[in-house]
Amino acid sequence: MEKIKIEICVGTTCFVMGASSIQALEFEIPEDLIGKIEVTESRCMEFCKDHKDGHHKGPFVKINGEVMADATYDKVLDKVRAIIKKKEEN
Amino acid sequence: MKEELFIEIGSAYTNKAGQDICGDTIHFKKIEDEMRTITVLSDGLGSGVKANILANMTSHMALKFVESNMDLLRSSEVMMDALPICQIRKISYSTFTIVDSNINGKTKIIEMDNPPFVFIRNQKEQVIKNRTLTSPKWSERSLHISQITTLLDDRIIFFSDGITQAGIGTKKYPLGWRREGCKKFTLSLIKKHPNISAHDLANEIIEEAKRKEPNNISGDDMSCAVVYFRKPRKLLLLSGPPYDMNKDKEYAEMVSLYQGKTAICGGTTANIIERELCLDCEIDKTSFDKKIPCASIMEGVDLVTEGILTLTEVYRLLKHNIELKNDNAATRLTKLLINSDNIDFVIGTQINNAHQDPNLPVELEIRRNIIKKIVRILKENYLKEITIKYI
Ligand code: FES
Repeated sequence: MEKIKIEICVGTTCFVMGASSIQALEFEIPEDLIGKIEVTESRCMEFCKDHKDGHHKGPFVKINGEVMADATYDKVLDKVRAIIKKKEEN
Repeated sequence: MKEELFIEIGSAYTNKAGQDICGDTIHFKKIEDEMRTITVLSDGLGSGVKANILANMTSHMALKFVESNMDLLRSSEVMMDALPICQIRKISYSTFTIVDSNINGKTKIIEMDNPPFVFIRNQKEQVIKNRTLTSPKWSERSLHISQITTLLDDRIIFFSDGITQAGIGTKKYPLGWRREGCKKFTLSLIKKHPNISAHDLANEIIEEAKRKEPNNISGDDMSCAVVYFRKPRKLLLLSGPPYDMNKDKEYAEMVSLYQGKTAICGGTTANIIERELCLDCEIDKTSFDKKIPCASIMEGVDLVTEGILTLTEVYRLLKHNIELKNDNAATRLTKLLINSDNIDFVIGTQINNAHQDPNLPVELEIRRNIIKKIVRILKENYLKEITIKYI
């Protein structure tokens, strides 16, 4: 199965809003996800500057390209597991 | 055209084992108007706090006197009168070496009782004749005064007797490492690394002296200063998006045109440069740290970091002179700054509104302010030549 791409914004705003705790995914991958995800960091994705389309709350994480606002470690994992489940069902 | 010259001063210390303060001190001062830099190394009698106070008093007085061009013999009398007198040896005890350098070529060296300085030109020692002055009041102490017309790549190295006496009494060095040993080591190091910075050289000398001591434990305070007349190492630091977006291109071109090293601090800034210069910029995972966002790698740029958090940490590291043990974006930037002589800051003045959001869990410094603080420390404590431009 293709790995799920997780891109964590580590720009200033996202970093202080908690991106660094999501970065734990770099080191402690839950057992069921080993080999299934690929984690990268990114500089400011510039969503933090964009107050109009409801995006404005960091930290931002892109999961397979889809933007998640107000991300947390748990929310990211839930989303990843949901994607895997969906794929397995198909 | 006359070659640009920079006087780099590097210093290093180690305390006598078991003491938590060093009895040697090194102070320096740059007098911008006169293009003069004065360095004073002083060794106070004994070790610990008392020695530190003696040494501090001596070097501060010496700096003041030399700066005001007061008569040397008279100044040294005043200094010796002012210092407390050792009950056993009956001398007001602390020694000093003063190096007073003018960027246009004249350097005067005034020594009292420290091991004689070492002057290195073309990777060889050059012996400099000196004149001796003795005050009738303190006849057992004398001053040695030397003058050198310096050239590019000259180095003056001076140290306390903790260095020359390193290893004393051991089988291998019954008389200690001595000035001769230290000089040989320095020359061979310069042969290997002809451009070694004053900072690194001073540190290497201290480390080597420590290795001469039994079990690497220093039996005395050790200090070493290096004055290096060098071609300035230049660094351009860009931080923040320009106020006017039409300036983005001009801003990015500064990076490609600069003769020297370049650093970019700020995600948006990096995005602008990446876009304008069509470069590729990728996160560098080797710089991972829980507290500081990762650095990035961009072709042709020496360092790319996040902005405010990294700069705030750099300020802390510089201000408290913290040992750069961790390898993260902030320590990398700090090293880059320390290892440059002329630093040109170009600061974009567009405000990042996201940083002003009251919902952020921490208060973020305003870019301009943190840069100003960094610049002040770099000038005062690290004697860097700095320009700042706002765009
Ligand atoms: S810091 Fe993450 S989007 Fe700006």
